[in-house]
Amino acid sequence: MELEKALSQDESKGGVLAHLEKLETQVNRSRKKLEEPQGAQAVESSLGTKIRDKLRSEVKQRQARVAVRDTSVEPDQTLEISEQKAWERKRENVKAILQAYRFTGLSGKLTSRGVCVCIHTAFEGTLLDSYFVDLVIQKPLRIHHHSIPAFIPLEEISAKYLQTNIQHFLFSLCEYLNAYAGRKYQADQLQRDFAAFLAGPLQRNSLCNVLSFTYKVELRGQAFTFCARLLYKDLTVTLPTDVTVTHQGMDTLPTSWEEQRASHENLFCTKALHKVFASFTQREKLDMSLVH
Amino acid sequence: MDETVAEFIKRTILKIPMTKMMTVLKAWDFLSENQLQTVNFRKRKESLAQDLVLLCEENGVSLNDAALLDIIYTQFHRHQRVWDLFQMAKEPGEDIDLSDMEQFKSSFKKILQRALKNVTVTFRDTEENAVWIRIAWGTQYRKPNQYKPAYVMYYSQTPYAFISFSQLRSNTPLLCQALTIASKHHQIVKMDLRSRYLDSLKAIVFKQYNQNFETHNSATHLQERRLGLDINMDSRIIHENRIEKDRVHRVTQEIFGDYSQPRLEFAQYKLETKFKSDLNGGILAEREEPLRCLVKFSSPHLLEALKSLASAGIADAPLSPLLTCIPSKGMNYFKIKDK
Repeated sequence: MELEKALSQDESKGGVLAHLEKLETQVNRSRKKLEEPQGAQAVESSLGTKIRDKLRSEVKQRQARVAVRDTSVEPDQTLEISEQKAWERKRENVKAILQAYRFTGLSGKLTSRGVCVCIHTAFEGTLLDSYFVDLVIQKPLRIHHHSIPAFIPLEEISAKYLQTNIQHFLFSLCEYLNAYAGRKYQADQLQRDFAAFLAGPLQRNSLCNVLSFTYKVELRGQAFTFCARLLYKDLTVTLPTDVTVTHQGMDTLPTSWEEQRASHENLFCTKALHKVFASFTQREKLDMSLVH
Repeated sequence: MDETVAEFIKRTILKIPMTKMMTVLKAWDFLSENQLQTVNFRKRKESLAQDLVLLCEENGVSLNDAALLDIIYTQFHRHQRVWDLFQMAKEPGEDIDLSDMEQFKSSFKKILQRALKNVTVTFRDTEENAVWIRIAWGTQYRKPNQYKPAYVMYYSQTPYAFISFSQLRSNTPLLCQALTIASKHHQIVKMDLRSRYLDSLKAIVFKQYNQNFETHNSATHLQERRLGLDINMDSRIIHENRIEKDRVHRVTQEIFGDYSQPRLEFAQYKLETKFKSDLNGGILAEREEPLRCLVKFSSPHLLEALKSLASAGIADAPLSPLLTCIPSKGMNYFKIKDK
């Protein structure tokens, strides 16, 4: 493929950033060609993942080199580097980071007093909301304003990383936001496309990390109602950490349905919420076709 | 049906302005479309209210329904109450909040009911995962007073609660305690921010008042806009202090931004500082004790007024940071002491 060729050729010319820029134009070109949604998204996301992983490893290498350089320079010259130079160096560093991180969903624009970072969230190839953080490059580094929802622990993350490691701060924030967006997307999809299965309203909270719902499943003429409670104890994941599915009703569950219940628990743990219900729909359709 | 409930509903309906009557009743969703159509809304309010109360009785209205109507009325007229802001905190290193709204509500209600035998607690969910709570206070021996309720607006999984107290202030500590425990926090503190404009308080504390972010597209538009201003001006008019005007405009933009300011009605500064004077003598200059004085700025829209001070020539630009820090610090009550 032309992309593989490009990767090997450009390794020798220019630095890592030039390399990244070339990759960027390649992807932009190929993105424009692939207009059709379904097939395009699959190809694009696998391409995107490949590029992103390659970028991540390259950036990490570069960072390691820069970090070594920085630590060797600073002790001797701290007194001589003026405030202005330190500010400029920080600015250039941030600029380089942002250029590199375009594909991980982070983009940014340098402003008069710092940088405005935009975090694009996505879940399984679907682009979701974008959030902004406007940073002022000063000592100490501070957040000027932002559009992060109030229930995302922004203060905690800033307290831990903002002053010491801005990359980690951005990545951590990215993780939380992407995970939140993914969970919200799954809950919204469930309410939108599979409302027929639900026997009552979907109960959720701001972070979408506690979901409770009651649903009915029909198989071979029998119907049972199950109560599911999904807990996402880790705010950086999009699959639940704890799932309990219980049977709703007075009668005891026959063994075959007990197996169903257990398999549902497993399904919710391993598959995205709306995909689980999509599989229920498929199974019902199959069931119906077998009967007739 | 309880006479007190009927009276309560009647008094609530009488408060609603005629222009909003239909909207509020529809939001309440207690009377059906058909029932509403049988009512003549052109009558005098007194007799309209009576008709509506009769319809409510037909539907078997409860105290809870009446309380919901009161909440909806308050939601439409939130600026008639003064809102205080409270911030809650967890212990450091605590587990992730796994509570859901139903747990919060039942926990909150239980705590209040355990402490005070007579209390009416009503909830109404809103979008954006917030809940409005209405609390009517009674005592061990008296039924709750439905005409002096307190209101709380709480966004789940955030540390902020917006509280509008009733005149019965003695129940404040209990209310704060119930909120803190039910939302799984450890501590609650009153912030120095208060206003009638609940939405502005929300914008300030959640830092949503400035949603203008510089993206790759935005900066060019700003430039074009500024040039456009210049081109349209009459070339026969020369501004003598053009440079200063531009400087003031630029500084104001930098501090206040391009967006509409959140609405506050006042800012209060309690000064406990020693009197500073350029003159050598003077009675006040001799004092060792700090001068105590209160300065209050009031306005229908304080921050917009402050923003226009420099360009109107009334104050120097940049304005004192004590004035400009109000939205970013989330305070409009200040105590200033000598360092």
